[in-house]
Amino acid sequence: MYIIVVGGGRVGRGLALELQGQPDHEVVLIERGAERAAELRTELGEMVVRGDGTEVALLDGVGASRCDLLIALTDNDAHNLVACQVATHHFHVPRTIARVDDPENERLFRLLGVGETISAARAVMAQIEATLPEHTLVPLLPLHGSGLQLVELHVQPGSPASGGAIRDLALPQPSLISLVIGPGGEPRIPGGDTVLQADDEVIAVTPEDAEPQLRALFATPAGEPEEEA
Amino acid sequence: MRVIIMGCGRVGSAVAGRVAASDHEVTVLDTDPYSFRRLPSGFPGQSLIGDGTRHRHLEEAGIRDAHAFLALTQGDNRNILASQIAKHIYRIPTVVTRVYDPYRAEIFGRLGLVTFSPTNVGADMAWAALLGDAGVGQAARG
Repeated sequence: MYIIVVGGGRVGRGLALELQGQPDHEVVLIERGAERAAELRTELGEMVVRGDGTEVALLDGVGASRCDLLIALTDNDAHNLVACQVATHHFHVPRTIARVDDPENERLFRLLGVGETISAARAVMAQIEATLPEHTLVPLLPLHGSGLQLVELHVQPGSPASGGAIRDLALPQPSLISLVIGPGGEPRIPGGDTVLQADDEVIAVTPEDAEPQLRALFATPAGEPEEEA
Repeated sequence: MRVIIMGCGRVGSAVAGRVAASDHEVTVLDTDPYSFRRLPSGFPGQSLIGDGTRHRHLEEAGIRDAHAFLALTQGDNRNILASQIAKHIYRIPTVVTRVYDPYRAEIFGRLGLVTFSPTNVGADMAWAALLGDAGVGQAARG
């Protein structure tokens, strides 16, 4: 696969390093800053090209029209969006991935056909949420183009989900509970008869806009604290 | 009619002056308050410190009931991002984008933005002036 990475910051460098070792991939890393590009060239060699990865002439020069995947990882949303759009619409690159800094821009990027977006802010928030003792819902992975996402749900004591069979649960449609992990760590593939217990972890595919409904199903209802702190 | 202009440089401030003079409401956004000195004296419009690629700043500028949005900063990609926010998120009917790079101006023109390239405009004018020269003009026309 021929992969173009735009932006040689820490993320771009790390990715290029990772991909460099894989014989199936040909990688070009584009970095705009002269000093940073020289530094990267010393470390990574000829794969590093200095220039503006949103410019047609430069992308043409690195053979963007035979590129399979362009990944835009600069710290600037405008550059990342334009790099992906130029790749898609001028060079017909089949797949693009963009880093998005401002969560507000995620919707626009998807609307404009950027294949996948990576949001540092969202990843950090999800990770923090997962470490909170009473987290109910952690988004794991958006399944792009489908409006669905993979989520982890924690069945809270006293929640509508605890003690009932999966088939009786009013899950937002379309949803699929794929895996249930008990408090002891034992995983089981659920069926409609499976009864969820307090403190089960549930991995499910759910609509992206259904987080409030899911929280209502899996959280302890307000005013009924599970126990005194 | 309400017009929002992003970028109060020479072009942005001049257009803002013209819009205001034709009795339309105009709001100029710029991240640098010093740039507002370029606005004509007695400018009746609004000037706002803000970044036109940020939804919140656009809303403060009144994008929700604007009819036209012009992106006139020095940054091609910033202009393209802000214009696409105006067009696709806020559904502004008229969006005009300055893009210095003629290639990008053409690509995003095809994607539905009204773009213009000062590079092309300048080159055309210089070339037209040169054609007015007897010797060069004759040679060019064969």
